[in-house]
Amino acid sequence: MLCRRLFDIGSLMQRLLAITWLTWKAAFRFKLFLVVAVLLLASVVGLPLLIKDDGTARGFTQILLTYTLSTVTGLLGLSTLWLACGTLARDIEECQMQVVAVKPIARWQIWLGKWLGIMSLNATLLTLVGLSIYGLLQWRASRLPPDEQNVLRNEVLVARGSAKPPTFDKDIDTETERRLQDRLKKTRVDSADLTLVRKQIREQVRADYQLVPPSYAKRWVIDLGQAKNYLRNQPLYLRIKFNTADQSASGTFGGLWEAGDPPRTPAWRSELMSLAPDTFHEFAIDPNLFDDNGVLTVQFFNVNNTALLFPLDEGFEVLYREGSFGVNFIRALGIIFCWMALLAALGLAAASLLSFPVAAFCALGVLTLVFASGTMANAVSEGTIAGFSSEKGTKGSSPADVVVIPTFRAILKVIGLARDYSPIDSLSTGRSVTWEQLGSAVVQVVGLLGGSLACIGIFIFTRRELATAQGTQ
Amino acid sequence: MSSKWKKSLLVVLAIALLAVVFQVQESLNHDRDSLGLTRVQPLENAPPVLAFTTVALGGFRGLISNILWIRATELQDNDKYFEMAQLAAWITKLEPHFVQVWLEQAWNMAYNISVKFKDYPDRWRWVDRGLELLRDDGLRYNPNETLIYRELAWFFQHKMGANMDDANMYYKQEWANEMAQVFAKKTPDLEELINPQTDDQKRRAQLLRDKYKMDPEFMKEIDERYGPLEWRLPEAHAIYWAALGLKKAELNPTKIKDDDLITLRRVIYQSMQMAFQRGRLVSNPIIKAFEFGPNLDIIPKVSAAYEQAAKDDAKNRDHIEKAHKNFLKDAVYFLYVHNRIPDAARWYQILGTKFPNNTLLDFQTNSFPRNLTLDEYAVSRVQEDVGETMSRDRIKAIIEGLLANALSCLAIGDDERAAGYKLLAEKVRTTYSSKTRARGEALAISSLDDIQREVVNRMLDPENGVVPEMRAVLRTKLNMGPEPPRPARATNAVPESASSK
Repeated sequence: MLCRRLFDIGSLMQRLLAITWLTWKAAFRFKLFLVVAVLLLASVVGLPLLIKDDGTARGFTQILLTYTLSTVTGLLGLSTLWLACGTLARDIEECQMQVVAVKPIARWQIWLGKWLGIMSLNATLLTLVGLSIYGLLQWRASRLPPDEQNVLRNEVLVARGSAKPPTFDKDIDTETERRLQDRLKKTRVDSADLTLVRKQIREQVRADYQLVPPSYAKRWVIDLGQAKNYLRNQPLYLRIKFNTADQSASGTFGGLWEAGDPPRTPAWRSELMSLAPDTFHEFAIDPNLFDDNGVLTVQFFNVNNTALLFPLDEGFEVLYREGSFGVNFIRALGIIFCWMALLAALGLAAASLLSFPVAAFCALGVLTLVFASGTMANAVSEGTIAGFSSEKGTKGSSPADVVVIPTFRAILKVIGLARDYSPIDSLSTGRSVTWEQLGSAVVQVVGLLGGSLACIGIFIFTRRELATAQGTQ
Repeated sequence: MSSKWKKSLLVVLAIALLAVVFQVQESLNHDRDSLGLTRVQPLENAPPVLAFTTVALGGFRGLISNILWIRATELQDNDKYFEMAQLAAWITKLEPHFVQVWLEQAWNMAYNISVKFKDYPDRWRWVDRGLELLRDDGLRYNPNETLIYRELAWFFQHKMGANMDDANMYYKQEWANEMAQVFAKKTPDLEELINPQTDDQKRRAQLLRDKYKMDPEFMKEIDERYGPLEWRLPEAHAIYWAALGLKKAELNPTKIKDDDLITLRRVIYQSMQMAFQRGRLVSNPIIKAFEFGPNLDIIPKVSAAYEQAAKDDAKNRDHIEKAHKNFLKDAVYFLYVHNRIPDAARWYQILGTKFPNNTLLDFQTNSFPRNLTLDEYAVSRVQEDVGETMSRDRIKAIIEGLLANALSCLAIGDDERAAGYKLLAEKVRTTYSSKTRARGEALAISSLDDIQREVVNRMLDPENGVVPEMRAVLRTKLNMGPEPPRPARATNAVPESASSK
């Protein structure tokens, strides 16, 4: 029984590999592999010569990572879509598929074999380009002076995790409710206004947690968790952002920072910093400032004549070294690979039903829709597809909103499953692309979205009457 | 006529017409340009790729430029600046004749992006990027656009020269370091750059022309007209670029609006006023940085610049005259505290003659020149400044003046008065420091000892200091020992390893 099953699996693999091999041969026959490989390598080599950076090693590395990986994703994505549409649709149109279909191989195996062929091509190309980019980065980094190398390896060519202070949601909710009840006892509030009043009180309560009045200090206590075990003698970075209602003549506000909790830990104090509001600032603090439980204490002293507000969600973050750039880079390429898997499934699904030009047009149409999802997101946030006047603060309305807005919302959710990953952005800012993110991309992008398209494509392809196809030869 | 002959004739005719068009085209372009019939002008000095791109893309350039601009805005909103230099280069080169694009992109880098960084070297890099965009590219493709000259001058005057940005001292230091490469770490000598003799002088003259796009002959002309200027300080460069803008405007009178000229003139007299307040560079080898002092020698020229500006700009005459009055008040006051009493008296008289019906002191309705003596006015101003002003340059100038007076009194044996002046200087410094503590290094002022050291050095300078007898007395009273033999030549070069304070 076991032998039989193993034989079946072996036989299945043989059939899939045969189709995969045919896809490879087609890619070489059409010189697609060669052209894409040359284009990709040319972009990796050429872009650093063409682009102008901000003059720092950090800026150059960031721009290099962003431009090369974006170009690679774009080029590889388009070629994947093109090949996926072409390899199936043209096989049908050129009547080659009819010859294959009469062989002892199921339609789903042909479809899956094609997908595997495209993905193995993508894997090869992505590995080639990934190695080139990685090699180029390391080579350039090694030629920098030691202090710049240090900055680069601590801030960009690294995988940094982050720890944030608690958000106090529960405390805020409790306090909001208490204040609301007090208010209701004193004044009558219409039920229609209750939501608004609650929202306003909540913002007031949140402000208490976020605001630093003039000449006051704010203290954050951050639990580094298990990271404390490997962060001894490692530099930590604070990433902060604040807002203010007032403008200053210089455009900046002064701030003093202190980290550590003496006598339990050493202390670190900053010089007076000149910090712009509404922007993220990142700076290193000394190592070993957290206590034995991994708790880091940080204080900010407001030396200005105006109050500063550190948003609870993004106002304060501690960044620390979590892993190497190499592994992070591989994980980021892994997410890009997942996107390619989805595009291959999309192209093949379209080609299962349509002729090559129409399939390619449809697949590109879907891609355009994804990139134009900002318009849909605007409509959803405004609650209408009719115009919204930001000056008057009034919005129009359309009878179609009832249908269109929920549809947009659903489309955005589906698109979000694939778009809510930003591996290139994470890489260029030295942030970790975690294994969880990669796993989630595999499940959502490949399993859920790609799998759904594969099911649709295979269903259509299985039921399609190949003999009725309009052959071109 | 056979078809063959007919075709040959047509080909010859076509070639002849093309040749004629080629001849006429140049004069047509010239006429269109001089008569202002077109806004689309041929791109000058452009590299082949840019020339080709601008022609090949045609009207689509604007569209691509807009897309890039949207991307730049989105990135900036997300605090991602590393692509900005590239995007700005693309956007401006897609619209090389659209002046506002150059101004906006340069401003964005020098003002908006620079302050987003907390480290001063990062800020300086972006300010420098803004300067480069206008100076190296903007003026290259638009050599006659006065607005670009004005903006460039404004960056020097305001971004680097004024103290609005906390990093202003760093900018000045970096600029002085760059200029030290041009002037060989010594007091600027324009003559050697105009007629370079040695290889080093030739190299430095080349550096000035190629990198900084400045003409030493025009610099000399400016120096004679408005100076002597300290070319290692930003305000001298503000005056240079504004003056060059005015010169270019004279060459293209039909294309220039009066308002553009006014803004250029304003940069000149405002920068000159700044040069008067702190246009003297004094190196401090102990803290490896430089300090400023007032340039009292250019008072007549600054005053003349105000008068000229008021004459040229009827619309804003009242404002300019008001600014002129304030300048004269400062001039009198600075001269007084620097113990140049006869000069102070002369300018006080000029002030009274020009503005007899203007009060000189705030909140004192009867403080007309006729009602105040020079001494009364100067003492009241000291009280006003110490109590109110936040200007580092003014306070520094006051302290220097008070210390100079203290040393003069010491030299003539009036030790009691000398102690009084020194005590007052100390109080001025302490009051100012306590008021500006929140701005940290941005408005920090040197210690009294450092300032006194500068003043003493100046007074004991064998060439430009006080008379030998007075020097000898001062040396004795300050326990400095006898005067050493005269050095070959004194310089006030920026120290090699100078860094920001």
